[in-house]
Parts: sequence; C-alpha cells; structure tokens
Amino acid sequence: MKEFVLDEPLTAGFLEFLGSFGTVKQYPHLKRPYFSFEQDHFISVKGFIGDTSVEVRYKMEFSDLTSDYFHLLLYYSRNGEAGMRKMREIEGSIREKMKIRHPAGERVV
Amino acid sequence: MAADQGDPPLIYLNNAATTWPKPREVLDEVARCLHTPFFEHGRSTAGTATDYPAAAREALTGLFHAEDPDRFIFTANATDALNLLIHGFVKNQKRPFHALTTELEHNSVLRPLHTLEGEKKLTLSILPMEDGRVTLQEIKKSIQPDTRLVVMTHGSNVLGSLQNLRPVAEYCAANDIFLIADGAQTAGQIPINLSEIPAGAFVFTGHKALFGLPGTGGFYLTDPELIAQIHQGGTGTDSRTLVHPQDMPQKFEAGTPNYPGIASLLAGIRYIEHEGQDAITSKCRGLVALFIRELRKEPGITLYTPAPDLPVVSFNIEKLDNDEAGYILAKGYNIVTRTGLHCAPLVHDRIDGGKGCIRVSFSHLNTPEECLTAADAVREVAESADR
Repeated sequence: MKEFVLDEPLTAGFLEFLGSFGTVKQYPHLKRPYFSFEQDHFISVKGFIGDTSVEVRYKMEFSDLTSDYFHLLLYYSRNGEAGMRKMREIEGSIREKMKIRHPAGERVV
Repeated sequence: MAADQGDPPLIYLNNAATTWPKPREVLDEVARCLHTPFFEHGRSTAGTATDYPAAAREALTGLFHAEDPDRFIFTANATDALNLLIHGFVKNQKRPFHALTTELEHNSVLRPLHTLEGEKKLTLSILPMEDGRVTLQEIKKSIQPDTRLVVMTHGSNVLGSLQNLRPVAEYCAANDIFLIADGAQTAGQIPINLSEIPAGAFVFTGHKALFGLPGTGGFYLTDPELIAQIHQGGTGTDSRTLVHPQDMPQKFEAGTPNYPGIASLLAGIRYIEHEGQDAITSKCRGLVALFIRELRKEPGITLYTPAPDLPVVSFNIEKLDNDEAGYILAKGYNIVTRTGLHCAPLVHDRIDGGKGCIRVSFSHLNTPEECLTAADAVREVAESADR
C-alpha cells in the first residue's frame, strides 16, 4: 500500500477515466465525497474527490508489473481519447505479461 | 496518519489492538528506566536502580491475586506466550492427543494448534460459540478419552464477550486437562482473580489494557512441570552449567529481558491500581453502552455486539465495505478504528460471512465526548452511504 500526495486534486473527470478500466464506487453524499476504484489483478484506489492524497494498493502477485500503473492512469487521463488508447495498450501489455507468468491464466484476462 | 491543520482532533478507538495514549505515569517510568543503568539480580551490579522484572512480577501477583510472583513469565506479547505454552505442552506429551479450542479464538491460538495438527501431534476440535460464548456443557460434549488440552479466550477480541472461565478451569483441573486461558483482552480491563480460576496457564499482554508498551506480555503458570522449555540461554544464574535452569522464572526466560517494556508494564499496573480496576471496568462499559445506544439510532448499521462485556463494538455499515468505512472514518473524521478480520477469522465466518467488520474499542482514557463524536461520525457515514 502506498499513499500518494498529488500535485493537483483528484477530479470527477479522472474517476470517469478510471471507470473505463475497472469498477469505480462513489459516495457523493458523504461529508467528503469518497470514491474507490478496483481493477482486478492490478490496483485498488481509495480517496476523496477534491483531495490531493490517495491510497493505492497493489496486488502482491503482480506488483512489479503495476508499480507505475496509477501514475500512468493519472498522466494519460489528461490526454483525452489518445490517452485512453495509450492506456488500453499499456493495460493489454501488462495483461500479456501476467498471462506469461501464469500460462493457465484465464484468471487474469 | 498525516494530520493537516484544521483536521478534527484525533480520536483513537483501536484500544483492543493496542491502547493509546498511555498514561503519563507510564511514559515517565519508561523515561526513568532509560535514564538509569539497567538492573536485574544476577545481570548487573547497578544495585541502586529498580529491578523492574522482579517489581513487575510482584505487581502482577497483586493485580491478578496470584500465589507466586516467580510463576509469572515475561514474553514479547500474548502470541509469544501462547506459542511457548502450546508448543511446550505438546513437547512434553509422549503421544498425539486431542485438544479443544473455540471459534472465538485469535490466530495466536488457532495457528499454533493448526500447525501442530498438521504435524500430527494432536487432533483438534473447534467448538462453536452461541451468542459469543462457549459453555462448559459444550466443552464436556466434545471431551474425548485422550483430551489433554483446552485453549480458550477469556474475552473475545471481536464480540467483547466474556467466557465463564471458572467452571471450565475447575472441570479441566479435575480431569487432568491443561487449560490455557487467553486473557489478552481481559487483563487490566476487568478484575481477574487467579486464586479462584484454577487454569493451568493464564496469558496476558502488556500493550492493551495493562497500558504497557508493545513488546510486553507473559503468562502465569500453575505447574511449571507441565510445560517443556522451548528457549535456552543466559539467565544470569547457574552460569557454570550448560543445562538451562529449571527454577522459575528462569526456566522460561532466556536472554536479556525488555527492561523499558517491563517498566511500562509496572507503571501501567500501578496506574490501574491507582484508578481502581472496578472503576476502569465501569467507565469503559459506560462508554460502550453510550456508543451502542447512539449507533442503534441508525438503521443502516448492523451491530454484532448488542451488549458486550468488554469495551469492544463490532459493526458494519450497509452498502459500504468495512475497509472503506474505516478509511472514511480515518481520513474524513480523524477517527482510528480497526477493520477486517481482527486476526480472528472463524468468528467472522459466523457473524458476517467472513467479510470482516469495523471494530471500535475504548480504553479508560477515552472520554464520553469522543464516544459521542465517533458515534455521530459513524451514523453520518451510514446515513450518507445509504442515499
């Protein structure tokens, strides 16, 4: 688990971007609007919209493959459709490596 | 946890894991211990300093109404004590035997027993609880001709339920069964009178309600002959012989002890005696009752401990994972709780399908105001999550 302090607050737009890669849960009615993100075999994220700090957990088994994944999500979320395409490529590449590590591995597809 | 300016004051409600803050007297005693040369009979000539291990053994004897200070053994924590006792008992047995435990237990009991079961050194029965308790009647039903060991908690770290130890201890004593009672949650929290509970061994930890530092704990052993030594080493006595001494407490204490930790334990016991064990128990029960009364006002909260004996309240918030609720309380309200399985997986299988829950636990140093603030926060989160 790592806690990151970001340069800019997390936005609703970033959560929309995350939603393309996993499950985003939002609780907008809390005193501080909470969200979580879960992408199986990759990472899970917890935080508050508008905050600059966020907690990221890496699945132990593939943490070497996903250690930069959250930063890449942040970076490419700013680049619109092109960023989405690039992130899809990165995700696919990581999944291929996961499959090589687990040849039986439909579980990571 | 990083505290920002403007954050609400920290409210620490994870005292069933480790109490915080510690009483001022504890911090002062640790400082005093560290500022003077360590002294213990046989290990130093600094005779003007306090012999903390000896003083703490005397203090424990008084607090728990025990018979012999030298039968108190210091360990690193309750887990260490339970391992020494369980493995030491098994080592003394000539053949595999049957052991009993309960589904209320912490992994510090379950894992050693499971390991020994895997090594075919014992067969194990795990008794179910009803309403947080395992009765003597249930234990009797599971006794087999070769039952030699019962290991059970004195108080559940999830449900806060007390077990009626005395009849179990009396039954075990009368039937040649060694009873290890795990008092990790009860030592310092409620009055304990070992002269009325003939358990084979009573385990305590220092860092919870006894207000000591982490790294302290131990056990009281009625008959040292029943437990084989696991550790051998320096004791400061009988150094000429290569055979580890069999005298108590040296039989089970090898190596330099944790002097600052034991000093903290001594000061914690003195604090309890000064405040009064009954008064501590009563105040904590009041805090729990207040907290539960407030939580009951919110229908989106499932309580697993409607009337706990110990200051432990376990619950879940509908539509929110316990892990997420804990995060929101910590980051959004500056309230420290404990979420997940609390190292007691079997009891969670029973109460929440193994998903875990949020646990709030109070100490004597919490205030009613903290209790109400925390209850308001939990209710606010539950109400908002339900929208």
